[in-house]
Amino acid sequence: MNIRKAGFAPRIVMLLFMAYLLLPLLATGLYALARDWQDSLLPTAWTFSWFSELLGDLRFLSALWTSLYLCLISVALSLVVMLPAVFAITVYFPHWEHFMKGLVVLPYAVPGVVAAVGLIRTYSSGPLDIAGTAYLLVGAYFVVILPYMYQGIRNSLLTVSAVELLQAAELLGARRRTAFLTVILPNIWPGIIVSSLLSFSVLFGEFVLTNMLVGGHIKTIQVYLYQRVGESGHLASAIAISYFVFILMLSMVLMKLGRRMGGEVSK
Amino acid sequence: MNDYLQLQGVRKMFGETRVLDHVDLSIREGELVTLLGPSGCGKSTLLRCIAGLAELDGGRILLENKDLAKQPPRSRQVGMVFQSYALFPNLTVSENVEYGMKMRGIARPARRSRCEELLALVDLEEKHDVYPQSLSGGQQQRVALARSLAVQPKVLLLDEPLSALDAKIRKNLRAEIREIQKRLRMTTLFVTHDQEEALILSDRICIMNQGRIVQDGSPEALYTAPRTEFVARFMGSYNVLTRAEALLLFRNVDSTADRFAIRPEAITLLREGEGRTEAVEGCILAGGSVHSVSVLGNIIRLTVDTAGIRLTVDQLNDGRWLRIQEKDNVTLALDPSQLLHLEREGA
Repeated sequence: MNIRKAGFAPRIVMLLFMAYLLLPLLATGLYALARDWQDSLLPTAWTFSWFSELLGDLRFLSALWTSLYLCLISVALSLVVMLPAVFAITVYFPHWEHFMKGLVVLPYAVPGVVAAVGLIRTYSSGPLDIAGTAYLLVGAYFVVILPYMYQGIRNSLLTVSAVELLQAAELLGARRRTAFLTVILPNIWPGIIVSSLLSFSVLFGEFVLTNMLVGGHIKTIQVYLYQRVGESGHLASAIAISYFVFILMLSMVLMKLGRRMGGEVSK
Repeated sequence: MNDYLQLQGVRKMFGETRVLDHVDLSIREGELVTLLGPSGCGKSTLLRCIAGLAELDGGRILLENKDLAKQPPRSRQVGMVFQSYALFPNLTVSENVEYGMKMRGIARPARRSRCEELLALVDLEEKHDVYPQSLSGGQQQRVALARSLAVQPKVLLLDEPLSALDAKIRKNLRAEIREIQKRLRMTTLFVTHDQEEALILSDRICIMNQGRIVQDGSPEALYTAPRTEFVARFMGSYNVLTRAEALLLFRNVDSTADRFAIRPEAITLLREGEGRTEAVEGCILAGGSVHSVSVLGNIIRLTVDTAGIRLTVDQLNDGRWLRIQEKDNVTLALDPSQLLHLEREGA
């Protein structure tokens, strides 16, 4: 509704900005659908063959599937570990928060390349020889999404004043576990879903770490994309568009959930 | 002794700070006792210790002569209302009220009827299927009250329940809480930092300072006979005088106290040269000049400088003093029998 009131100049800037962001995407989209695009402004012939080739390619589907389950496992693992941990820290050991805040910034402080080299060196020998396996990747993913999960869960807990809700429930005769399940979890659930989806889409788009850690052994969608870019521009465009559509849908779900939660809180 | 709730030498430390320092208190059944004190005096911590939300570092808490120390909050039979309401946002009003009964395994029909009863008690019959977020602050606090009463606690703890509400709602709810408490004969501990609230609500007030109860008694007793300077200053706008100042104003005082206090309304104001001798019998007269005047509604509060001492004087706003101004000369009539002799702090 602000846009309607905005003046001419801001709207122009906005449009230019949108064009700047969307034009490459549009071009990619067109290229992915073009059969013949040599010396004309727009493609002269259209085709879905790039998409059908892509969808017919077992390697694409298996890469998509690999990405999907690796990300899902990592997010699920993070949820299982972080939810009780952050809950315990926020509610029972608030003096540890200082330490946690520092810990949670670390993944930002270490660049992907450095982390990858370090991880490979550490885990390619000794008792834990898991270099190049999915275990190492899931472990690395866990660290990558640590900040999102920690902040998301913690903020949800603080927004609903979990400590007081818990105390109120306990004084009304609930055991801690029952109190957690009946009055804490239902209230932080939307926030947790949002941070899980956010973590998922971050992991889904992750390339540097994945390629260096397991690029030769495990083909995620990003690694697959990287390998096929050189083959055919049309095909690469089709991959990029499919990937974009997937992330777009995920983001829309995220935004919808976020809005619903925001609405509930501000009501 | 038939004391219902007893605190014996309760101590609590936060690191090096002594938050509760040997608190002794006993409360009779059906009594409403207020813990009154400035923020940080330990009053909320004391409440949390009784509820089991904070652990004691020493002393005992007995409810009907049974030690509460080993019991977790859920089995103490203590109800609590929080300043921030702490209603469960995912549950409707009636689900909130029924929560405690459900946890105690009370059957659904019984829960239903008790919930209806309580919502009627707090005047919210219409609201049972509404979520707490869509209620006003005052309504939310009433739901919280109903919720804590639903499990028929032996003691009800109210932790500044009115502080988050605006003035008018605060006054209404204050009266309502007192009425419900009397009707149910609910043993209640009420924490507040507002002395007016404490005076109106309580059967008994305990004034706390730095982790101790410094004086306790009926509202009248506390207001008319504060024992220390802290209580005198906290309970009202008492004029606190040093020994030298008291000697200067009253010429002689027959005690060894070194702090004295006199209530603002115990000082009579006379216009200069006005000869109302009947009001001044036995009083000591002192000349002074008005420093400030403020009309508080039914009373007018003045500060008057006399012999280098600034005194606060309250006069009934009966029309006689409306035209008084700053720097006017007046005569004060001070009654020596109204002068309170204060004890040393911590005595």
